[in-house]
Amino acid sequence: MNAYCYFDVQLKIRHCDTIELTPTYFRGCVLNSLEGFFGEIGGKTTLEIVRFSVEQRRVVFRVPEEFAQRTRTAISLIGHYQEVPCHFQVLQTSKTPLDFDKELDDTPESAQL
Amino acid sequence: MVRIKNRYIAVQIVPHTPVKTLRLNDHTVAKCLLKYVEKYYGVYALGILEHGFRVKYCNDRTKIAIIRCLHRGQRYLSSILPLITLIGDVRAKFRTLYVGATVIQCNKFIINHQRQFLDRMMGQTASAKERQDLFKRVMELDVDR
Repeated sequence: MNAYCYFDVQLKIRHCDTIELTPTYFRGCVLNSLEGFFGEIGGKTTLEIVRFSVEQRRVVFRVPEEFAQRTRTAISLIGHYQEVPCHFQVLQTSKTPLDFDKELDDTPESAQL
Repeated sequence: MVRIKNRYIAVQIVPHTPVKTLRLNDHTVAKCLLKYVEKYYGVYALGILEHGFRVKYCNDRTKIAIIRCLHRGQRYLSSILPLITLIGDVRAKFRTLYVGATVIQCNKFIINHQRQFLDRMMGQTASAKERQDLFKRVMELDVDR
């Protein structure tokens, strides 16, 4: 059985109205950074999005355990999202599944995709 | 004092169509290798490899080159060598002959290899002068450039 590492990350951006945050765009952004930094062989991995919240600009995703370190590095090095300067803050990493459902329930106006 | 470990990789350049000379120099080979390392392993591997990287020797006639790299970046380089199909503008591939820790060991191997090449080529030359020229060109091993 494959072991996974879960990441809980938040997009920090100043002008959030100019960007479109979707799971696909987010995934592409992380995979592009991985490929740019670790190349075609070193940066190819499976990245699965577990939870996604547009309001909080928060994503929980998982990668195979052996790619955890590289993914963390690639996320830290992302400086642009759709050509808008930004950075990703890694809130939590874990080998067990992460979930921010409870936190979302506390704020009723937030919606979850 | 920290010892710097190097690895010397002796490679043979095998052109797609048989030619006498490849018109390749060490600079072209180095540029091509670094380009492919960046493509397959990204800027991270390029950063590791660039430090201490050098094409020490490149013989156009025998199509043999010696590449020096740091010990910790050797994997990145040796693993992409079979994937390369284009060196500069020439369609060719690399054949790894030997990986050594010192240039002396690498030289020994190259000399043996080129001696075998000379044995094969000597029969095809007509005059004694041509033989002398061929011997000079093949056996020159100027790695101190």
